[in-house]
Amino acid sequence: MTSPAITSTRASWRDHAGSWLPVLATLALLGVGLSSSGYIVTVLGFAAIYGVFSTGLNFFMGYTGQASFGQNAFAALGGYGSAILTAGHGMEPVLALLIATTVSVAIAFAVGYPTLRLRGHYLAMATFALGLITYEITIEWTSLTQGYMGYSGIPPIGLFGYELVTEKQMLVVLVAFALLGVWISNRLRRSRFGRALAAIAGSEPAAAALGVNVAGYKLVAFVIAAAYGSVAGSLFAHFVGFISPEVFGTSMVVLSFTMLYLGGIGTTWGPLVGAVIVSLLPEALRGLKELQDVAYCVILVAILIFAPRGLAGFAPAIKQFFNRGAAAKAE
Amino acid sequence: MRHRSGLLAAAAILALSATSALAQQTYKIGSSVGLTGYAAVNDRAWRDSLLLAAETLNAKGGVLGKKVEIVAEDNRSEPQEAVVGYRKMMSNDQVQIFDSGCVSAGNFAAAGSVVRAQIPMVLCSILPQRPEEQKWAFSVLPPPRFEIEARYQHLKDKTDIRKVGILHDPTPYAMLMKDLGSKIAKDMGMEVVAVESYKQDDADVSVQLGRMNAAGAGAVIKMGQGGSTVTTAKNIKALGLDKMLLLASLDDGATFKQAGEVLGDRFLFVAPGVQIPESIPAGPAKDAADAFLKVWQAKYGDRDPNAGARAWDSFMLIVAAVEKAKSTEGPAVRDALETLPSIQGSFAQFNFSPEQHVGITKNPFEIGVVRGGKLVALK
Repeated sequence: MTSPAITSTRASWRDHAGSWLPVLATLALLGVGLSSSGYIVTVLGFAAIYGVFSTGLNFFMGYTGQASFGQNAFAALGGYGSAILTAGHGMEPVLALLIATTVSVAIAFAVGYPTLRLRGHYLAMATFALGLITYEITIEWTSLTQGYMGYSGIPPIGLFGYELVTEKQMLVVLVAFALLGVWISNRLRRSRFGRALAAIAGSEPAAAALGVNVAGYKLVAFVIAAAYGSVAGSLFAHFVGFISPEVFGTSMVVLSFTMLYLGGIGTTWGPLVGAVIVSLLPEALRGLKELQDVAYCVILVAILIFAPRGLAGFAPAIKQFFNRGAAAKAE
Repeated sequence: MRHRSGLLAAAAILALSATSALAQQTYKIGSSVGLTGYAAVNDRAWRDSLLLAAETLNAKGGVLGKKVEIVAEDNRSEPQEAVVGYRKMMSNDQVQIFDSGCVSAGNFAAAGSVVRAQIPMVLCSILPQRPEEQKWAFSVLPPPRFEIEARYQHLKDKTDIRKVGILHDPTPYAMLMKDLGSKIAKDMGMEVVAVESYKQDDADVSVQLGRMNAAGAGAVIKMGQGGSTVTTAKNIKALGLDKMLLLASLDDGATFKQAGEVLGDRFLFVAPGVQIPESIPAGPAKDAADAFLKVWQAKYGDRDPNAGARAWDSFMLIVAAVEKAKSTEGPAVRDALETLPSIQGSFAQFNFSPEQHVGITKNPFEIGVVRGGKLVALK
């Protein structure tokens, strides 16, 4: 006797439950945000922005297995691009976002082409320098960036004169951007392109021997990560309405690394999960006042000890749970 | 069972009304402060002084019959953290006014949403840039011009030095000072022969000092706070610039003492009277400074009173505005702040008006020097 659960080509809802669970969880979080105070909306908004940023970084660091300490440079390009074009020149925010992203992609291509021939620590140092140079430019080029005075009066995101006035409206858009980012990431990961990146992450010489254009694929992954970073920077500018160099400093790099490793580097949903946890956890511990940082670090270390592959590493176990349930029902 | 449910419901209603009544009897002042990060020295003193002021006022019965509660949130000297903290204080704690620390970028980043909620802000930092935000913001920071004028005036009156170099960090306040310093030098009989910058975490400024010396600068007008002042003093000594003076900007006394140990009388600084109390002549200013110092020193001993005094004054200005408005509502308190009479604080005299949201309009600075490990006025 053959079990229909094994032979049937029709997938039950349980088969897809593992895939849909993160989407439902994200929408549930959005629901919580929409029924909460401005404070929660703000925290979730930042989580969504960092979700976009980390998902982009995951292309280069997770899928391709390269090191980048300079992704904040592209967030700064996106943020200042949007700020200057909208607040300085009255451009539509979405148009400004697209132009800023295009410029970031072009710069990523120009910088990445020579840089990505480096490997390991040398590549890490080169990308770190890129972040530092951009940071210095945002401080020193005061006629363009207004330096430490910061750029204020940046309008909320909108199109054709229609602006998202409330924070909750903006949260919906930010979550939509985050989900779109993860969807694109998932599609690309499962494509020929994604498999080439996985081959490079495994062994560059082996990938090259298989006919993978290593330098080319690395460059494309770097450019995609830059585009995500730029979009995240633009979203930040429109969400807060103000940017200054500190926003795009090295703390952004540290934060995004924490998100990646906590959520699960190289997984599709890990970066977004990490962004949500890293954003929410300090707020949950805010009541501890002076001990907040200590408790936060203890929890982070505990998570990394008990979930070394990140929280998304639990995904197979969850899928297995649902599959076991399906099999039990079939029997 | 029904009887017990009724009792529970009654208890819940009583608890709710008690909470509501308590909320009405409390005036909540929010404060976004950099308890960690570059602003920690100033902002910790700012927070502590606000708590002290609230404690002192509450012991006397509070304001308009309400106890004052300080809700302070650490912004880690980062704008993003400041935005989260401000929103938390607005929506969860429902603060009615802000009395925030010296992290300019944090106050600027949050200003938009604070203004939309019609909550006034009294700030340690400079004012936000947009006019609609400035309408709701009041600064208790001395205008940058005063610090520069005090130093130029000293050089002009007491020394032969007419050529100076400006050494500044990239913070908004220092940048404002730098521009003004170059602009007003000629009017005050000085010449700026070099303008050099440094980062707050730079471990050496010898190159900048060397350029200034080569340009003929007899004194360094430093614009920026923190350990870099001590670094500059050490570098001047190490380079053997035996005649060069270092004139530092407003800062914590601990920094002054360290730099003074290195350069002796060649290290000078601007200080409000409260930082060198013996320099204040008898009168209302002396009385106000002594009133603050009595409470401050009883709690914190010889901890530097510079930032604490301004926080104390900002709190008293808010209390005066609430009493004038006879209300704790944001718009009413904002209007009252604009129309307060001249108030003598422990740090300076404050004169707000609808056109003047930077309260300190008269130069409060003296030139100080470190002698015997103490800050004293240079007579």
